[in-house]
Amino acid sequence: MTGLSHEMWLPLFGFLYAAVTLYWARVAALQNRNTETFFSAGHSLPPWIAVLVLAGSAISGWFLLGGAAEISAHGFGLPALLQGGVALALPGVFFFKRIWFVAQRLRLSSQGELFRSYYHSEFLVVVSAAISVLFAVGFAGLQLRAVSHLISLLTGGTVSPLQAGVVVGFVLFGYVVIGGMRAVGYLGAIQTLLLGAVLIGFAGFALLEVGGFRTLNDALRALAAEDATGARFLVSGVIHFTAGLGRDGGVALTSTSVTSLGLAFALMGFQASPLAAKIVMSTQSANGFGAGQTWVLAGVFGGLIAFGVAVIGAAGIVDPNLSLPGMLARLAEASPWFMGWMTIGLVAGVQLVAGLALLTAGEALVRNLYKPWFHSGLSRADTVNLTRIVIGVLTLGSVLMQFLAPVALSALGSVALPLAFQLWTPLLGTTWLRWITRPAAVTGVGFGIAGVLLTEPLGYQILSFLGLELPWGRWPWTIHSAAWGMAANLAAVLIVSAITNRRSFGEEAVEVQRFLRETLRIGERAHALRSTAWSVVLAWLFFAVGPGLIFGNYAFGAAKGGTWLVGMPSIWAWSLLFWVLGVAMTWFLSYALEMASPYRLEIPPYSPPPRLRRDHSADERERLRILVISGAAAFALIVLTTWSFGR
Amino acid sequence: MSPYANVERGILVFSIWGVFGVLGLGFLLEGFARSAYFVSLIGIGLIVVAFVAHIIVNAVFNQGFTNGETALGIGALGVLALMFVLAWAEGGMPEQNFYAGLTFFGVLVAGFIAYLVTRYGLRGAFSRFHVKTLSVAESER
Repeated sequence: MTGLSHEMWLPLFGFLYAAVTLYWARVAALQNRNTETFFSAGHSLPPWIAVLVLAGSAISGWFLLGGAAEISAHGFGLPALLQGGVALALPGVFFFKRIWFVAQRLRLSSQGELFRSYYHSEFLVVVSAAISVLFAVGFAGLQLRAVSHLISLLTGGTVSPLQAGVVVGFVLFGYVVIGGMRAVGYLGAIQTLLLGAVLIGFAGFALLEVGGFRTLNDALRALAAEDATGARFLVSGVIHFTAGLGRDGGVALTSTSVTSLGLAFALMGFQASPLAAKIVMSTQSANGFGAGQTWVLAGVFGGLIAFGVAVIGAAGIVDPNLSLPGMLARLAEASPWFMGWMTIGLVAGVQLVAGLALLTAGEALVRNLYKPWFHSGLSRADTVNLTRIVIGVLTLGSVLMQFLAPVALSALGSVALPLAFQLWTPLLGTTWLRWITRPAAVTGVGFGIAGVLLTEPLGYQILSFLGLELPWGRWPWTIHSAAWGMAANLAAVLIVSAITNRRSFGEEAVEVQRFLRETLRIGERAHALRSTAWSVVLAWLFFAVGPGLIFGNYAFGAAKGGTWLVGMPSIWAWSLLFWVLGVAMTWFLSYALEMASPYRLEIPPYSPPPRLRRDHSADERERLRILVISGAAAFALIVLTTWSFGR
Repeated sequence: MSPYANVERGILVFSIWGVFGVLGLGFLLEGFARSAYFVSLIGIGLIVVAFVAHIIVNAVFNQGFTNGETALGIGALGVLALMFVLAWAEGGMPEQNFYAGLTFFGVLVAGFIAYLVTRYGLRGAFSRFHVKTLSVAESER
């Protein structure tokens, strides 16, 4: 193999991939015909495409880039990672069908519009928009940064990370602004399948490199027997009352079962995020959600995570050179065509979530915030064009942050999932729990955000910058920020709901409650199974990702120096067992309990009572003036604070 | 077929060839690079899987290969065949690779004939290539 042929494969696959993305962007643009269907593909995405995009964007490159690296570095101490497929699927089972019905009834296109219609809360709209921006810039930006560095590594430095980042960002920007949601959907299906295939490819290559599954486990057993590395095969306890990472004079243990529970909660944030809602509301039918959540996400991708990502991570434990970049570097020498294909598959997975996040964030900022507040007379064509500009600015911001402010990017990316998990309470209020009032949902989300930020570096670094040192670090008591946030969120929701008027909903909310009550009433059989379902879910959460993980340490043989009954670490076997049970549980909830089962119904649009339309242009001009002045004042304040307190 | 169904079919076709086709080509190249017949065989198998999956998708959407797909397929086959013949003519091709190449082209030709026969029947498949002269056509009329 000559040097030239060795190096040509990655660019070759890269050009092919770019050509494919632009081809599908063109197809999508031609089908869009005009700007009317840019944001939601005319609510006509076929269910199977929506199912694939939901699964692919939930998995994205995160499990390959982050999950496998976490296992390689710290072992199997966070088994919630291996339950990722089921944890990611559960929110969709709870929410998607009902969100789709509500969106069809009220003709909604985004999560922000849902909150505005149901709760009449601008705060929730802003939170939803902010979370989508966090996903677009932080969460996807972190993955894009990793991919850019990988490309640079694989080209031997010929292409710098910045150049790789710019090219990847440009292709991403190109297909999102050309084809809108339709391009994100069409390409997303291809990207998801490519990502799944690449996941299998990495796992297969890892097994080949370590000499097979038995050899891998023999090596793991040898490591488990040593004192220095034995802890990698154990959940270290239920909880440790430490002050959190970065405090207590050292690094606190994060491999407790409550950390796992919190991580599972964070993963459950993705499908409560505005990104998932965007796909759901762009779909032509709700009939694919049950099958998608059960078989595609929890089943196929869940299995790929529980087994494939675990194999890749375990190979990294045995041989640190078999990390993801290490594997690709070896492939580049031995089989450059596979290296090119697998790298592009990884890029596709990352671009999938990045494209969706950019579109959602652009729409949220322009259509849900700017237009209703500052320029209600904006035409559809101008709205779309402005959204394209905003997407360009967000892409540029993300690329710049990847290389100029990676620490800030990491801090932003790490709060995206826990913050999105805080949206569970308003979504539960909209879809299931009518007793959650508007003040309760707003207060709950506010407290939840505070809970997350105060237990993540982003929050305590900002406070530290302002001179306020918190006595705890990241994830105090080894409890994940998503769980801290939800504890505060739930407490506020319960208290405020108990003391506020439950009949003070607006017309749309009353209509939503009536519509869901009358159309999606579950059958008698499903009704009788409700208590069983609750028990099953709680039991699964307890044993698969919660305190019961402790039993997994020894259920299938001694973790250290003993016999492994099924030829693999006990905690890994435990995770595989509960993945299978998790798929069964997802099926049970989706179909037996009818939470995501197919339901055919023609849904007429809701016609609100006619209201007089006032001319808001004067108010909007005033708001815009206030915004500019506030922005300038905030900027000046930040500069002043930096000079005063900055180090 | 509606444009939406056409797009759905296109997405599936791209996915099939993007996964099985490229993977098959990779294994084929790997087999040639290592002169390993068995590895090449895996690649050939994957390309056959992609071909069969493509035909299944065509059947589901009640459509045949598009003109573009046919041109691309025949063009790619031609280029690969030319490269194989040139490599063989240059000499020094390992025996394993020679047999792998023969298997590859043999399987593709057999697969193509099988496809025509299953889609059009024996007589119909022949008619796809049998161009009738004007006088015969007129006499039949």
